[in-house]
Amino acid sequence: MDRRSFLKATAYAASLASLPGLAFGARAGGSKILRMGYGSDVLTLDPIKTVYGSDIMIQGMMFARLLQANADRSEVGPGLAEKWDISDDGLIYTFYLRDAKFADGSPITAEDVAFSYTRMRFQKDSAYAGPFQPLKEAKAKDAKTVVMTLDRKFTPFLTLTEIWNTGIVPKAAVEKMGDDAFAKAPVCSGPFKFVDWKPGDRVTLAKNEHYYREGLPHLDGIEFRYVPDDNTRVSMLQAGELDVCITYPAARQAELKAAGFRADPEASSVTYDMLINHSKAPFNNLKFRQAVHHGIDRQAISDAVTLGTGKPATSIFSPALNYFDKSLPVVQRDVAKAQGLLKESGVTDPSFELLVSAGIADDEKTAVLIQAQLAEVGITVNVSKIDSTSVWTRLIDGDYQAQLNWWYNETRDPDNALRWCAWGAGDNKSYYTRYNNEEVNKLIDEAAGETDAAKRGALYAQIQKICVDEVAQVAMFHPNWLNGYSPKVKDLILNIGLQFSEIDQTDLV
Amino acid sequence: MDRFAFLLKRPIQLIPVLLGISLITFVLIQMTPGDPVRIMLGPKASEDAIAFVRARYGLDQPVLVQYFYFLLNAVRGDFGQSIIYRSPVGPVIIERMAPTLFLILYGLALSVAFTLALATAAARSRGRWLDQAIRLVCVGSVGVPSYFVGLMLILGLCLKFKLFPVSGYAPSLLDNLYHLFLPALTIAIGVTPILTRNLRATFIQQMDADYATAGRSKGLPEGYIFGRHVFWNSLLPTVNLMGVVVSFLIGGTVVIENVFNIPGLGQALIRGVLTRDYFVVQAVTLVLACGIVITNFIVDVVTVMLDPRVKL
Repeated sequence: MDRRSFLKATAYAASLASLPGLAFGARAGGSKILRMGYGSDVLTLDPIKTVYGSDIMIQGMMFARLLQANADRSEVGPGLAEKWDISDDGLIYTFYLRDAKFADGSPITAEDVAFSYTRMRFQKDSAYAGPFQPLKEAKAKDAKTVVMTLDRKFTPFLTLTEIWNTGIVPKAAVEKMGDDAFAKAPVCSGPFKFVDWKPGDRVTLAKNEHYYREGLPHLDGIEFRYVPDDNTRVSMLQAGELDVCITYPAARQAELKAAGFRADPEASSVTYDMLINHSKAPFNNLKFRQAVHHGIDRQAISDAVTLGTGKPATSIFSPALNYFDKSLPVVQRDVAKAQGLLKESGVTDPSFELLVSAGIADDEKTAVLIQAQLAEVGITVNVSKIDSTSVWTRLIDGDYQAQLNWWYNETRDPDNALRWCAWGAGDNKSYYTRYNNEEVNKLIDEAAGETDAAKRGALYAQIQKICVDEVAQVAMFHPNWLNGYSPKVKDLILNIGLQFSEIDQTDLV
Repeated sequence: MDRFAFLLKRPIQLIPVLLGISLITFVLIQMTPGDPVRIMLGPKASEDAIAFVRARYGLDQPVLVQYFYFLLNAVRGDFGQSIIYRSPVGPVIIERMAPTLFLILYGLALSVAFTLALATAAARSRGRWLDQAIRLVCVGSVGVPSYFVGLMLILGLCLKFKLFPVSGYAPSLLDNLYHLFLPALTIAIGVTPILTRNLRATFIQQMDADYATAGRSKGLPEGYIFGRHVFWNSLLPTVNLMGVVVSFLIGGTVVIENVFNIPGLGQALIRGVLTRDYFVVQAVTLVLACGIVITNFIVDVVTVMLDPRVKL
């Protein structure tokens, strides 16, 4: 090729490329595919291998559980199990299964249920066996009856039989395929079955023709897409490229609503808090913790971050949970009192490092407010922005003073919430705060074994009071889920436990 | 020696470059605190589960042992497992190469078209209002970050006028000319000013050169001098600059892929770094490094084609 023809070819190629193509990628007409976008990507499709939001959401649509929650998780009722008995001593739970099939047409038997539970509870790499410690054994009595034996009285057990990692998987398929292959192309038992997974891009599901609920689901399929950028996700909803935008920035709410999208806040079980390290100065000092507790303005922080959609925190866990103590007041900011407490604490250099995950706008906003509010008390806050993986490492290693974080609870029962955030005997050391109060630990165990609701309530009130008085964590506010839905999407909400639990009834019109 | 003999030496030079890059990447990411297994299993995972999985992936071994195994496997064409996705790195990377490659080439094609038009117009109307306007726009837009340009294009062309899709990558070539137009335009908006300023300056320099004056004194029309001589003689510096710009773009698509949600290498790299997914980072870095080396190679070839005097 000589110089001139080479240049000509380049010029032609360039001008050709600058003509945008005429082909328009339209959605196949007629089929009802719900397109959902979320900011973190799906990592595994095996329900026992994860505790990740994206995985939890999608697995909830793929695997049926013994019990089933309603849309807002206010009730848990029959699912794969039609009915159940609890023995008088509270140790033996018997579940009676309905006739149901896996997506491949094979029947769901008691053997499969026993297998799924045993695997979740005892397999070494099961990620969230923690809340199921009292489960000693799960056995099939006959083809349709499963017997579960606990080693102690454990009232929350029934509500736990709804959470995602108890999803029922087929014994034969898992054993034949092996865990790794199953996690990439599982045989499903829920309303939708697996079609395709492009890691870091999307998971595609189709209607499960064998789903146990007659005539459901209404949708033909689901496309669950990974869209890391918040604003892009919102734009895609606005442009009609998504039907559901899971979590949008609070600032976009007005704009979405004005354009006719359903974007009302949905109740969550989230608590947004400042984790503090009880094993290190200055937060090993009760008076110092209290000085911080009284020195911050929760209402102002809640308003600034959630733009008025959230609520300031009064207890250690969310008001969406049962036995939340409504009598606890919002701690009003009192600079004089905080200064007094700071003086009493005897801390000579009142300062600490606040770890913040870089790039998370809410955290950065909160950090600035805390810094300004505590400066007036006389406490210097040094904000360190580092990437979220490094933050987690330092949290787990206890190499930090304070850190901004949030957590949600799978159920409305406070047991697993408290075991996560205040039970010093647990693996995660009270959400890595190293808060370890023997009395609280004992009360949490006692409340879990109590069957009388009033007595349970009293125990939980006592626990909440101690945690607030001792400032186990600096709970700040409770945000809502902010999800945007196209007006075509009917009957879909995200429940407090991060599940679209009535997705089988959702429709596109 | 033939002018193109250097072609043969290049693949050999690639080996030490890639070895060096892989070692540096490996050590850097291993030194950064953070554990991919914990991210994979999530914050509520138990210590036992994490230790078990770490051992399964060989992550409990010393770093140098891990690097040795990486090299051994890489030679056999196995780039290891993505820890986060629990699947082999190779297919993931290959699937993601196409969108990134297409995007860069499309963006460059647009940039070249815009640059040629703008620089010619500016140089030919030197000092007049058109020239001033083009220069002003170029100076103004050099500093605008591409994520901002991207967002503005989405707001205007996608949401307001509904001309283009916000996101995505389509399987067919023709569809992508449409799907990736805005991201490519974003690239072009970033690159064109740099190239235009450079090319305009060279045009003007060449228009003042002695051979152009000689042509004018013989009564050749200005358009003929420009089209026949000045234009071709001015391309070389811009082609070399383009090599630098492409290297920069290969890194820069990371941002654009995120804004337009294109499942390309950049997105995989960001995810990999943030989650310490060692082997994904390693593989993407190597692919990008190869891309840069290949770009420089192409620039060399083009230079030889454009300028008969050059020997390498």
